[in-house]
Amino acid sequence: MLIFSVFKTLTDQTVTVELKNDLSITGVLKSVDQFLNIRLDNIKVADEARHPHMMAVKNCFIRGSVVRYVQLPAEHVDTQLLEDATRRGTRKHCILARVT
Amino acid sequence: MSSLQGYVDRRVLLVLQDGRAIVGVLSGFDQKSNIVLADSKERVYSLDEGVEEIPLGLYLVKGEMICLVGELDEEVDKSVDLASIRAEPLPPIRYG
Amino acid sequence: MDPSVTGIQEPFDLIRLSLSERVFVKLRGDRQLTGILHAYDGHMNLIMSDVEETIMIVDPEAATNGQGVVNIAKRKMEMLFVRGDGVILVSPPART
Repeated sequence: MLIFSVFKTLTDQTVTVELKNDLSITGVLKSVDQFLNIRLDNIKVADEARHPHMMAVKNCFIRGSVVRYVQLPAEHVDTQLLEDATRRGTRKHCILARVT
Repeated sequence: MSSLQGYVDRRVLLVLQDGRAIVGVLSGFDQKSNIVLADSKERVYSLDEGVEEIPLGLYLVKGEMICLVGELDEEVDKSVDLASIRAEPLPPIRYG
Repeated sequence: MDPSVTGIQEPFDLIRLSLSERVFVKLRGDRQLTGILHAYDGHMNLIMSDVEETIMIVDPEAATNGQGVVNIAKRKMEMLFVRGDGVILVSPPART
């Protein structure tokens, strides 16, 4: 849920999604869902000469399960906020675990 | 899964987990991203000859086989001479 | 050590204590990362900054004395989301 929220805050920013088939796609993040499926606009595939398969593709939907990495724009990520939210999230989960 | 909504009735490129590339008109999908493609053709890439298009007709692709769905710019796609393209097929997904 | 002293009772506690510290991450596909950990969740999805990735590429063709030659590729990334299904281990920084 935390990671989903982070991606939502990065809507309309440029990201680079690296897939598990080594394809690397840069584009504007248009939307994300709870599976971390990603919609990218205005895409550009790295090393287009080797990968002409997507030449005519302007925007795409990437299944979350095939993502290896997403390179994020560092200036739009508040790392302090992330760490606090991660600590809060896990403590809540620990308390729940102890109660049940 | 609102993300596939905009692709209905559009000509799309599907990249599958095994590296295959299939083009067709996306006629439907569900929450598991299972997809129905009409008038679909597989595009077979190789380094030795141009791209070969194999007609597949109406296809239902299971969501877990899908890697990527791309909307094709039909103008750009038509302007590409597939016979002149030499490229390795896309690699399959590893550790999916 | 007494768990009440270290504050470590379950595996994820070890990762929680590594937040905002440099960690070592081993991934599937002969990859490893070092970087500063900023966020994680129960799937071991991670967000890290100042990341250096090392990829080990074994070239069986260029075998010397029966062993494949290992090539190492490195690259740096400023801010990175890592999908948890590829994570094998997360190791906290060495404490001195």
